Amino acid sequence: MSEMLGNQYFMARKYADAELELEPVLMENSDNNSTKRKLIICYTQTGKIDKALNLFFELVTNDIDFITSADPVLDDCPCPELVSEIEKIEELNTDSFDYHVLFGMIWLYCDADKSLYYFKKANAIRSENTMIPKIVTKIYNYINKSKKGSLSQKDDLKKIRNESLMK
Amino acid sequence: MTITDNFKDHILDSIAEGVFTVDRNFKIIFFNKAAEKITGYDRNEVLGKFCKHVFNSKLCYVDCPIALAIKSQKSIFDFESAILQKEGSIIPIKLNAAVLYNNTGDPNGGIISFRDLSEYESIKRKLEKSTQFHGIIGHSKQMHEIFQLIKDIKDSGAPVLIHGESGTGKEMIANAIQATSSRGDNPFIKVNCSVFSDNLLASELFGHVKGAFTDATKDRPGRFEIADKGTIFLDEVAEMPLQMQLQLLRVLQEGTFERVGESVTRKVNVRVIAATNIDIKKALEEGKFRDDLFYRLNVIPIEIPPLRERKDDIPPLVQHFINKFSILYQKEITDIEDRALDLLMENNWKGNVRELENVIEYAFVRSSSNIIEISKLPSTIRGNAKQSGSTYHEIVHDDPEKAKLLKLLEENHWNKTKVAEILGIGRTTLWRKLKSINLLYK
Repeated sequence: MSEMLGNQYFMARKYADAELELEPVLMENSDNNSTKRKLIICYTQTGKIDKALNLFFELVTNDIDFITSADPVLDDCPCPELVSEIEKIEELNTDSFDYHVLFGMIWLYCDADKSLYYFKKANAIRSENTMIPKIVTKIYNYINKSKKGSLSQKDDLKKIRNESLMK
Repeated sequence: MTITDNFKDHILDSIAEGVFTVDRNFKIIFFNKAAEKITGYDRNEVLGKFCKHVFNSKLCYVDCPIALAIKSQKSIFDFESAILQKEGSIIPIKLNAAVLYNNTGDPNGGIISFRDLSEYESIKRKLEKSTQFHGIIGHSKQMHEIFQLIKDIKDSGAPVLIHGESGTGKEMIANAIQATSSRGDNPFIKVNCSVFSDNLLASELFGHVKGAFTDATKDRPGRFEIADKGTIFLDEVAEMPLQMQLQLLRVLQEGTFERVGESVTRKVNVRVIAATNIDIKKALEEGKFRDDLFYRLNVIPIEIPPLRERKDDIPPLVQHFINKFSILYQKEITDIEDRALDLLMENNWKGNVRELENVIEYAFVRSSSNIIEISKLPSTIRGNAKQSGSTYHEIVHDDPEKAKLLKLLEENHWNKTKVAEILGIGRTTLWRKLKSINLLYK
């Protein structure tokens, strides 16, 4: 087991190999959010949607910002490329629960609104899943908080501009 | 003496080899001046960035050298690859990679040193004339015998097994075989068998088809297919897992193999040159190296003697490296002090020619005059000399030639360059003469 080797496999987009290296790393240190974030993506690419969802639920519940702040360049987050690749796959069942959960998870790394859309759909398909409503609530709250944040940021800018004009 | 971080940085900035280090996430944390020169990036542009975003090498996705070093638990040497420079040109490089470990022994970072091979090739061409045989320096009888053997086998396609200690130049011998061979214009593919995991080596040598394993997203030919009608150089062949040795034996006997995940048998015509530094007899006895493969490979055996057994080659090698580094570093260093050369002659050279080259480069970096002085040699070399307690020994002699030589040396304060000039012979010849009459060291 080597976290560094797992990181390299992840960087090289060798998701199955990365999964093998990173799983024991997480078992040894369950607080390693960076490894969690990578493993979620690995699981989505190796078809282990349930495992991905469990880990995703854990991370979203504890620290949703850790996912939403992932940057394609600074954090080497592969989600934008994954979305376009998955969309090309013809044999996907676009009405399935797994399909919506998969896109819901991946989109949260780049676009919270789209993620919310897919999780709401997933919830409609399988309402008995207890994790999905909680995830929906978390994302919903996150979006609202972000919008308020950006509004207050705009207010602050306005205030600063007005003050400088008065001077 | 304790070396400070600043001093270390200064040394790393003084060398001609590009050096960078990465943290455990493969983000660049150090980038020396030569790396800036080779890549075209300013260090401020790359620090904190993922190395793959800077180097844009396909190697990052296929065989990251640091990942290979983590897997094989040993450093990687002389790995050939290509990188994209900032201005968009692709340049060939040769690199070494090593893993940095934390206190608990876990991989925590990596270091890569690399050279621009295109610049290297031009230096090689400039120096080629001064080498004896396809870039190899060898004045000694043993090396001349090897050169003759290589000439003798130029029309043969038989397998060759090169054996020699680490740093003796096995790859250079392989290059010379290829250059003189009738297959010289055909592909020449090199594989270091020790750096790949078992599964990866099979895929590397024989190729794979899409879906053969999770990350096999498309069909890929192996090195044997790419080397068809040419030559493949299998370095560290005895490190190959036994199952793979069996597959290699089949290629040698029948020229056939299958890609991983496919049942179609493919046929190639490839000449195999293999090399190893292990004790072959021991490996055969322990069952680590299949004897049928050994006999199949060992059709033309080449044994490269360690440098300590061909010390005649040290002075011309030193001169060659001085010429090479004077071009590479743009420094006008032309010679080495006699006493410094004497120390080099005396050393045991466990790392062979590679170690000698590194020592000269170290001295080059540290020298500011036009001659390499003894004080500029690494302390390990100077220390070894002290330990061995060697001194010049006057010998009891009754030979007039010896007496004349000794008188001449004493008159010139043992300045062998001067004595060689007076006698109208080269320094190597003088050294050989002194050695033959025991006027050097005991």
